[in-house]
Amino acid sequence: MKRRSPYPYWFVLPAAVVFVTLFLLPTVASFWFSLTRWDLFDAEFIGWDNYRQFFREPFLVQGLVNTLIYAFVTSGAKTVLGLLLAVLLTGGIWMQGFLRSVVFFPVLVSTIGVGITFAALMHPTKGVINLGLGLVGLHGPAWLSDPALALYSVALIDIWKGVGLATLIYIAGLAAISSEYYEASRIDGATRWQQFWRVTVPLVRPATVTVVTLSLISGLRSFDVIWATTRGGPGFSSDVLASVIYKQYQAGFYGLATAGNVILFLLITIIILPLTWWFNKREIDL
Amino acid sequence: MVQSTASVILRDIRKSFGAMEVIKGIDLVVEAGEFCVFVGPSGCGKSTLLRLISGLEETTSGVIEIGGRDVTDAEPSARGIAMVFQSYALYPHLTVRDNIGFGLSLAKLPKDTIRAKVAAAAEALQLTPLLDRKPKALSGGQRQRVAIGRAIVRDPQVFLFDEPLSNLDAALRAQMRIELSDLHRKLGATMIYVTHDQVEAMTMADKIVVLNGGRIEQVGSPMELYNAPVSPFVAGFIGSPKMNLYDGKAAGEACATYGIRPEHLRLTADSPRWTGTVRHVERLGADTIVYLDVPGLGEMVVRADGEQFPRVGSSCGVAPLPGREFRFGPAA
Amino acid sequence: MSLRRNMARQRNIGIVALIFASVIFILPFVYIFLMAVKTKQEAALFLFSWPQQWQFWQNLVDVVKTRNYMLLLAYFNSTVITVGAVAMLVIFGAMVGYVLQRRPSGWNRVIYGCILIGLMVPPAVVPTIWVLQGLGLFKSIYGMILIQVAYGLAFSVLLYRSFISTIPRDLDEAAIIDGATPWQVFFRVILPLLKPVTVTLIVVQSIAIFNDFTNPLYYLPGKENVTVQLTLFNFQSQFQSQFNLLFMNILLVTIPPLLVFIFFNRQIVAGMTAGAVKG
Ligand SMILES: Nc1ncnc2c1ncn2[C@@H]1O[C@H](COP(=O)(O)OP(=O)(O)OP(=O)(O)O)[C@@H](O)[C@H]1O
Ligand SMILES: [Mg+2]
Repeated sequence: MKRRSPYPYWFVLPAAVVFVTLFLLPTVASFWFSLTRWDLFDAEFIGWDNYRQFFREPFLVQGLVNTLIYAFVTSGAKTVLGLLLAVLLTGGIWMQGFLRSVVFFPVLVSTIGVGITFAALMHPTKGVINLGLGLVGLHGPAWLSDPALALYSVALIDIWKGVGLATLIYIAGLAAISSEYYEASRIDGATRWQQFWRVTVPLVRPATVTVVTLSLISGLRSFDVIWATTRGGPGFSSDVLASVIYKQYQAGFYGLATAGNVILFLLITIIILPLTWWFNKREIDL
Repeated sequence: MVQSTASVILRDIRKSFGAMEVIKGIDLVVEAGEFCVFVGPSGCGKSTLLRLISGLEETTSGVIEIGGRDVTDAEPSARGIAMVFQSYALYPHLTVRDNIGFGLSLAKLPKDTIRAKVAAAAEALQLTPLLDRKPKALSGGQRQRVAIGRAIVRDPQVFLFDEPLSNLDAALRAQMRIELSDLHRKLGATMIYVTHDQVEAMTMADKIVVLNGGRIEQVGSPMELYNAPVSPFVAGFIGSPKMNLYDGKAAGEACATYGIRPEHLRLTADSPRWTGTVRHVERLGADTIVYLDVPGLGEMVVRADGEQFPRVGSSCGVAPLPGREFRFGPAA
Repeated sequence: MSLRRNMARQRNIGIVALIFASVIFILPFVYIFLMAVKTKQEAALFLFSWPQQWQFWQNLVDVVKTRNYMLLLAYFNSTVITVGAVAMLVIFGAMVGYVLQRRPSGWNRVIYGCILIGLMVPPAVVPTIWVLQGLGLFKSIYGMILIQVAYGLAFSVLLYRSFISTIPRDLDEAAIIDGATPWQVFFRVILPLLKPVTVTLIVVQSIAIFNDFTNPLYYLPGKENVTVQLTLFNFQSQFQSQFNLLFMNILLVTIPPLLVFIFFNRQIVAGMTAGAVKG
């Protein structure tokens, strides 16, 4: 007779039921519904039509391109700025603890609130930013209403709100580097600049992996900031996949919206999985 | 505070982890009230065997009986055993009182009964002033006593100890050895005790079980193992300093292995059996341990009396006490 | 470099950094506050200026009264969702993390696969609505709670799993010998020991769920179920000419995270950096 394990599998059951019904099942179902014309009750199979439409409509294609631009711009900026801020904020400078809190706090604030605030700050004529630039003799652009600029302005807001998390992760990563490496390299005659490139950057790699992965995923999925500021406008100039999906959903094109979802899903998978794999492979080499 | 007691019988116990067989068929009888010690080198399966008896691991095959009852498939809590872990495993979030009373409260005993039993155990182990502390605020020896207290209140028929003293310093260890022996006498319960310290084995055990590679090498009282080891392995394991063991042919004997304990050698100038060079001398006061290099044999350790100090580098003759030599196995 | 010069240098860098940080990270919050206490006419100017006339209470009362005390309802709903979801995330997450860490088996690969998917994959919204409708949970607070649980589980399980690996197995075994059932081992020995991570998890997930906008937008439409973030979003169009009230509303949704941040700074940092050091 087999005795019962003290770690029974039914402990997993409540979590599994919720996760499977409300996450896995819809994810799997989305592959089917993306191939249909669908009103939530009846789904009519139409093959690849939704996908064809997705790649034919210029504004949908632009949403796809914008998603990539947005994700890489925000992720790149958060990684670089996060590392620089973390180095600055672990150097023992004056008011360090307070500065860390200040940089981090926006992470915890409502995205909608931040979006509305920046929409006011970025107002082309009355906004504080452009008034400030005017004081030093610069003519500020129409941040959110210039189609060529809107996406990047939103990305800027996203970076402002999210860089604190990257900084925090980097601070934890830097704290894990033994000070002996710095002492050893100083005895070897390394300058601060050399220390940064030869000691800090390679040894803080686990934190970099986390920051890049997290910020890329959240960049690809980003919706709130865009919706609170431009709603994808002007025109479709700052639309990303997530906002396109919402618009199609609102318009009642459920099959098309779901196809957008599947595309976003595949996009994230083909970017993140190889990246994780590559990061892990490098890890073993070290 | 005399407790009930029970014998433990193992019949052809085997245990595999995956494809690796760790316990390779063990038959053993531990009499009721006996203090039985499992010794053996690291990785030989002592802890595994103890965990099989406790029920924390399931046997692959074989039968375990405690007090004449087949408990092979019983839950650990239904075997009438209590266990003291090497790490003590005290619940960090509970006070000493609640740690000791935890099992009783699980069994839904009345509060008064629990209080009384915890108080009695604490009194016996001198823990009464510490009852409201958390384990973090205790010394190593005190934690050890709490762990024992937790075992006592369960009124077990069999106590299981897995290297309970290995986290203590030498002085405390010596003291706890005595306390545990006292406890055994007082309770009269069966105790099974795992250690790889042969001093603990020799001083505390009624019965020593020497394990090697998942098998029993020899079972006997401490003096039986000392006086009549069945194999070079047991001979080398019991006794300190270790028995000198040599290849039979090299020692000029008609056996596979020839052994002689350091305390059964004497330094002598007339008609020595061997002559070697003194490499090192340890003076312990009462005794002197002499390390010799004997040509053809290698190192030989001799326990001489405290008055003798041969000079390092000098040449020394050695002779065995008659009747104290061991010859293992037929010549190859 | 002498120690004193070094210290002076550190202070100078600090002052420069402080000025920059103030401009970039603090001014927007000061701006929110200033806008929130201005009159309607003054707020419409969008200026970064000291209010000529303070209207703190007036604006506060006006915002709360808007649309028949909608904000109060929203706070109530958001609180119910947050508390309900976080409670389940703690219990369910710890249970899975416990079995996952303690019992190695082939199933663990499946569970890790689910965790990876849960952390990475965006939810398929319309099919989720379809499932919720089938269960009668669409547009319901219960549905919203379960959705938040489903989306937060992966993080919760990972956090608990890594913490449980630091709790020695001897404790479980001691409890088993003491006669504890699996249920009792978990709830009486393991769960109390998880308190530090549990606090971290509660804080981090509460903020995430309280601030969530997208999921209520999809799964919780309708006036009676409105959440705090949705109110803010709805007021954006309603208050086109009353920016003072809009910013008062922003101020109100910023205060809870600020309080949590002040009191639980350490736990937030622990939760947010979990796993950062070891990939
Ligand atoms: N759960 C397990 N899974 C796989 N192998 C195990 C397990 N537990 C023990 N083993 C193996 O079984 C063998 C015996 O282990 P055991 O812990 O019983 O040794 P021991 O005699 O107590 O050693 P020590 O003196 O070091 O405590 C070892 O080789 C060990 O690696
Ligand atoms: Mg062991």
